[in-house]
Amino acid sequence: MAVDRAGTFWRITAIARNAFREAVRDRVLYNLVLFVLLLTAVAIFIGELSGGQERKIIVDLGLSAMLLFGVFIAIFVGVGLVYKEIERRTIYAIFSKPVGRGEFLVGKYFGLCLTLLVNVVVMGIGVSLALIYVNHGWDPLIVNVWPAVFLIYLELTILTGVALLFSSFSSPALSALLTFFVFIIGHFSADLNRWRSHSEAPARACCLARSITCSQISQTTVSSHPRRTAVRRRPHLSPRSRPTPSFTSR
Amino acid sequence: MNDRHKTISLALVIVVGFFPIVALARLIDAERPPVDPNIADENLYLNAKTARRLSLGFNGLAADWYWMRSLQYVGKKIIGQEQSIALDDLGQLNLKLLAPLLENATTLDPQFLDPYEYAAVVLPAVDVKEAIRITRKGIDANPNAWRLYQHLGYIYWQQGDFKTAAEVYGQGAQIAGAPSWMEAMKARMAAEGGSRTTAREIYTRMFEQSADDKVKDMAHRRLLQLDSLDERDGLHKLLVAYQTRTGRCPANWREINLSAPPVDPSGAPYVLNPGKCEVELGHGSEIIVK
Repeated sequence: MAVDRAGTFWRITAIARNAFREAVRDRVLYNLVLFVLLLTAVAIFIGELSGGQERKIIVDLGLSAMLLFGVFIAIFVGVGLVYKEIERRTIYAIFSKPVGRGEFLVGKYFGLCLTLLVNVVVMGIGVSLALIYVNHGWDPLIVNVWPAVFLIYLELTILTGVALLFSSFSSPALSALLTFFVFIIGHFSADLNRWRSHSEAPARACCLARSITCSQISQTTVSSHPRRTAVRRRPHLSPRSRPTPSFTSR
Repeated sequence: MNDRHKTISLALVIVVGFFPIVALARLIDAERPPVDPNIADENLYLNAKTARRLSLGFNGLAADWYWMRSLQYVGKKIIGQEQSIALDDLGQLNLKLLAPLLENATTLDPQFLDPYEYAAVVLPAVDVKEAIRITRKGIDANPNAWRLYQHLGYIYWQQGDFKTAAEVYGQGAQIAGAPSWMEAMKARMAAEGGSRTTAREIYTRMFEQSADDKVKDMAHRRLLQLDSLDERDGLHKLLVAYQTRTGRCPANWREINLSAPPVDPSGAPYVLNPGKCEVELGHGSEIIVK
């Protein structure tokens, strides 16, 4: 058991390292070049436009760009992680080895998380250097930036998990869209909470739900005659009409 | 030509192409006919609440955008003027978009304190009610920011409401970290709110405390104005004394024992007006008139 656990750890690590190498080979980390250019331009030119608020603008822009680039990486790389393996049929070669499905998924997940970690750390260092340049020396704001960087990283890891979930049973395009919607909904949650506390819509929704439920119960009441039972069954799928086995089926 | 050379050539075309685009944009801006000032200021497309919803969590960045827009908006109007204007005297510039821009910036990022300071210094000349509302909104969002009470007290003092100004300074003095002069300002405001001494104290604190260079410059210019008013009062006393003695106003500075014309704090010489028997600012003076 202990040997098996140790083996699990090493298998997951190997898959994670491979996923990281794949991301680097796909030039995912080139977005850092764009980020550095953006931050350099802002640090040099923003002084005259910001009314003495260069530091705040650099931090806001740096963290926003970090989140945005990270979201794109998490979504577009995340939905392709498993799908590409299935598409290229390399997944059969992997499972011919003693690698479990769970280990494979977790390894892929950690590989992308490692890519995102490198991404956010380099961007965090870029923001810190920009602050030092603008402040002409050490800036105490640098210390306050890193907790925000950590929380952005946590958000990206959650988004990666969501992308991986959707990609396991859906096409890449739809998975990307659904993951993006989850991101939007997450950022809207503060407003949704505000609406909930300020509006009477939830009370109305409850009444509506209750009335719908009551009407459904009355419609599906089984009559005394067995022939009039309005129960439908799902059509049985013949072997030919079954879809191509997806990753989740055994 | 292989793919690599093609890619490099295309990239070079894009980079080199930016320069003529910039030149063309500048030429178009230079040749563009002037816009009718009455229709130049279109209302903002997004109100504060909508902007906050659409920002999708990038509130800080959106607030910075509106902050920079408000600076550009005011700066563009000031540059269009021929004579210099004080930052707290911009009512003549028709800054109808300034309040909505600052409202958006402060709604998107309520902890961003500089827009509140800008609203307290610049906005009263445009819309006092909005200036007070935005500053009070800042106080609700930042209860520990004593500086916002200073700004609010300044607005009420400017409007001549010394009683309310004293109350506001008193409330600000209760906040942990507030300087001791806030309490002293409360007492001075209640006792002699309209005096030049109180004005000097207010502008001195504003100059010392503000991090904004434009606000510091405005406070410095107001202090120079107060110095000039004191100097003109002193010179006026000399003129009145001479008039009482001789029955007429002095025709030149030598008659009141001044070998050269006295200069104002900006370095420009004062002008003696024998007709009105007053001392006036010279043509090249940078002292604010009102």
